[in-house]
Amino acid sequence: MLTFAQWVQETGIATAVRELWLPYPIILSLHLSFIALAAGMILVTNLRLLGIAMRKRPVADVVDQLRWPKRIVFLGIIACGLLLASSKAEEYYYNVFFWIKMSLLALIAVHGLAFRRGVYNNAAEFDRTGRIPGNAKLAAALSLVLWTGVAIAGRGIGYIEPPLDKLHAQVLPVYIEQGR
Amino acid sequence: MFLAETNPLNNSALIFPALECFHIVGFAICVGTIGIVDLRLLGIGMNRQKTAELARDVAPWTLAGLALILLSGPLMFSSDPDMYYLNPSFQIKMVCFALALLFNYTIRRRVALRGGSGGVAVLVGSVSLLLWISVIFGGIFIAFTGNM
Repeated sequence: MLTFAQWVQETGIATAVRELWLPYPIILSLHLSFIALAAGMILVTNLRLLGIAMRKRPVADVVDQLRWPKRIVFLGIIACGLLLASSKAEEYYYNVFFWIKMSLLALIAVHGLAFRRGVYNNAAEFDRTGRIPGNAKLAAALSLVLWTGVAIAGRGIGYIEPPLDKLHAQVLPVYIEQGR
Repeated sequence: MFLAETNPLNNSALIFPALECFHIVGFAICVGTIGIVDLRLLGIGMNRQKTAELARDVAPWTLAGLALILLSGPLMFSSDPDMYYLNPSFQIKMVCFALALLFNYTIRRRVALRGGSGGVAVLVGSVSLLLWISVIFGGIFIAFTGNM
């Protein structure tokens, strides 16, 4: 894993993101902007499944109409994330919050697969019966918890100092100047 | 409270990160719900609902997010007022934030509740998204600009 990380960050694009000071914060800001949009969609979906918000709107309307916007925004998030992570791959390899975040994202993927048939592809059924079953509410609650965890872990990544003595890559001079 | 050294918030290294998490959750909820209505103005997403209905549905959540932001933000500011005040990125962020809030509760509100569509809706939705994205950019760049 470590040699893979070292290889990734030596690629042209990753190096460019790392060695100029501007691309990283721009890509990070784009990452967060996409995240904000995704957060709204995820929040609305989960609140509807929990029956807390938008109760007058059919569940299927909320779940089905946001499906593709969510996917496109996720693509944006992932594209930014890949650029960010590859530029500092070796540093993130040592970053515990990065691994916590990746683990939570893996759990979210499992969650999506597990609840796909019963909940997310089944919203029309909830409108037909007028009842949202327990497992749908569980899916929504778990989703909220997991995504909040991802957000917190994501912020945590920025708090850990790069282990300068272990890194092979050229670290931004500004880090050393600031004593970080 | 006006001196970083005497501010009780600086007593523990965990308080600032905790405030930041509230800030992040707050803007995720606030900007996220505003984004849903903006996307609707652009004709993306919840097209089966009228813009006005959508705007009314999410409004209380936008306020809740805003409350989290307005509580955590000033507290974080107070932990190091001079640094933030002098930071050009923070200054730009605050200007964009004020503009975004103003725009949201005046022009955009009117257009959304009137059931705007067509050119005006697209314009209003785009301006709103751009303003809020500028706030996010401003926030991130605080750590990347100015004298730390």
